[in-house]
Amino acid sequence: MRVNPNLLPDLLAALSGTQQQINTDLQEISSGQSINVPSDNPAAAAALVQNAGQTSEADQFLRSVGSVSGELQNGDSALSSVVTALQRAITLGTEGANGTLNDADRQAVAVEVQGIQTELINLANLSYQGSYVFAGTATQAAPYVADSTSPSGVSYIGNSSVNQVTLGDNFSVQSNLPGSQLFSSSGSDMFQAVQDLITSLQTGNDISSAVGEINNAYNFINQQRVFYGNAVNRLNSQQTFLNSQSTQLAQQQNTLGGADLLQVISNLVNAQVSRQATLEAVAQTQSTDLFNFIK
Amino acid sequence: MGGLNASLAVALSGLTADQGALEATSNNVANANTPGYSREVPVLEASDPVVLTPLTFGSGVTLQSIQSIRDPILESQIQQETQTQGQLSALVSALSETQTNFTASTGDIGTEISNFFNSVNQLSTSPSDLSLRQGVLTAAGNLAGAFNVAANNLTAQRSSLDQSVEQDIGQINQLTSQIAQLNGQIANLTNVGETTGTFVDQRTQLVDQLSSLVDVSVIQSDNTLTLTTSSGTALVAGQQSFQLSSQLDSSGTQQVFAQGANITSTIVSGQLGGVLQARDQQIPAIQTQLDTLASNFAGAVNSVQAAGFDLNGSAGGNLFNPPPASGTGAAASLSVAITDPALIAASADGTSGSNGNAEALYALRSQGIINGQSPTDYYSNLVFNVGNASANANAEQSASGLVLQQLNDQRSSVSGVSLDEEAANVLRFQQAYAASAQVITTINTMMEDVINMKTS
Repeated sequence: MRVNPNLLPDLLAALSGTQQQINTDLQEISSGQSINVPSDNPAAAAALVQNAGQTSEADQFLRSVGSVSGELQNGDSALSSVVTALQRAITLGTEGANGTLNDADRQAVAVEVQGIQTELINLANLSYQGSYVFAGTATQAAPYVADSTSPSGVSYIGNSSVNQVTLGDNFSVQSNLPGSQLFSSSGSDMFQAVQDLITSLQTGNDISSAVGEINNAYNFINQQRVFYGNAVNRLNSQQTFLNSQSTQLAQQQNTLGGADLLQVISNLVNAQVSRQATLEAVAQTQSTDLFNFIK
Repeated sequence: MGGLNASLAVALSGLTADQGALEATSNNVANANTPGYSREVPVLEASDPVVLTPLTFGSGVTLQSIQSIRDPILESQIQQETQTQGQLSALVSALSETQTNFTASTGDIGTEISNFFNSVNQLSTSPSDLSLRQGVLTAAGNLAGAFNVAANNLTAQRSSLDQSVEQDIGQINQLTSQIAQLNGQIANLTNVGETTGTFVDQRTQLVDQLSSLVDVSVIQSDNTLTLTTSSGTALVAGQQSFQLSSQLDSSGTQQVFAQGANITSTIVSGQLGGVLQARDQQIPAIQTQLDTLASNFAGAVNSVQAAGFDLNGSAGGNLFNPPPASGTGAAASLSVAITDPALIAASADGTSGSNGNAEALYALRSQGIINGQSPTDYYSNLVFNVGNASANANAEQSASGLVLQQLNDQRSSVSGVSLDEEAANVLRFQQAYAASAQVITTINTMMEDVINMKTS
């Protein structure tokens, strides 16, 4: 059989093939990615879209966990001040109940408790980044306003709604406690107790039972603080989980789309050797034919 | 017969034949690198002998013809494969441009979908915060922008493919009229018994070029070629070529017409076939998916908005301008309807601190709002489809490239010029020529001997 006398097209095709391989390898090495366009590996490219979505979501959950944590800690530290104030009210009340005090002394104590009352109203009207923390979801207005017609001396204009924030797959956290539940609960109304203490100090009657009311409120608020402790604990463990999820997703991303550098470099070396050999072959074969020998 | 004059004539026929053969050889050498050239072989034949009973004398050699060596079946296979190769190259280059719109980047649609939901989640932690609300608006705007860019790129790509259709038609028309012309020349030469090898080579070369543009069926009959598209539309019949033309259809795309009939959908291979396939099938399929994603996404977001309340306590309005009801063009026209961040309906009950509706909006991230799939799932499928179409076309193109290379090798082994062979032929014919010349010299001497016999 007659052989193909013109090998050049085949050799050129081989050269262009190795050049293509070299280009692909170099691109993978420089980008560190084995998938630079979807057609490099369609299934992995699609999986990478999912991976990027999940990674982005986990990163966002981490940021939101930070924000919610901040809000909760802020609320908790306000409550801690409330607790301290109530302790002082209890001390003052106990002092006022002491039979050795005269009316003027008790009036002075009552004035001091009124100061605590103002402080408590301020604490209950805590605002964080422009929103009132203990107003339920009616966060645009201060929830407690002084109201002389109310038996407790204040009226609550917030609502009793709470917000749940999604911070993971099937994981959400209540991000607020409304004042109606914390301070104005029907069984244990803190402002009523303080108002009662002031009134009893002023009149000198039933001071002990008013102190008892404050004690109740104190215990109740301490119980409520457990909510914050629990929520912050849940957020901490969610943060740990999200961090490990991010790490896993990053590993998965690397498995799906990261360039296997050892493999790529070995491919590159092979392609270069093969290209070199082809080039030498081209240079050799084209130099001789029978015409060279006819004299 | 016999006799010196007869011998002289025989030797002369050798000289002439060898000269002709050498000419064919040198033509081969000259065309060693001409694309499509088929090597020529001189066909030598012993002239009819003269019978003088009881003897028979040879009367020399005749150069019967100069024959081009080619394998028509191989050539038709090459033409077939060239059509496939043309179609796949056009498709590969179109799809690789298309898929850049869906390559992972900081601003691709998938990233912007994630960013949008991220901003909503952040808003949910502090629903009355205006800067977080602005963040949602910005993310919505970026997402709409990403859809717009991808959709506009696809439209631009289709219209540049549209221009390719016109260019291809122009080239096809030029080639068919050249082929028709060559048909005429070949027929004329054949009628007067001339060699047509070179013209046939040229014509084969043109048919190869035509094959890379459009699907061609070749019908060979007595030195003339009839060309039709594979669906039977005539392109060349004898010396007449039939021009293709293009006309805009109602949607503004170029349609291919032949003798008044729209043959666009029947062209399936060659570069034109690939261009049409990308323009009329592959890219529109991607556009449809993109529109589905954009319109369903915007629709779902708007209906959640409508269920909630904005920062002013009013019922929520549209976040995105409502996409066209049919969905067509949704990606290109997607835009944010509001500029006031207070109008985002994060509240479930009208109070400014409620995040209930922001949570509902966030829940869309994992809901099957796009034909039963979540937005990210749908987009990742879209990326798969785009990548897969491109990867398949790539693979088919390399496979077809290998087949074509193989066929060209085979063609070259039949028709290619081997310089070794030609060098040997040069030697052969030169030696034969020298020998014939030597015979003439000898006869000349003998003639002189005869003449001198008388005078001496």
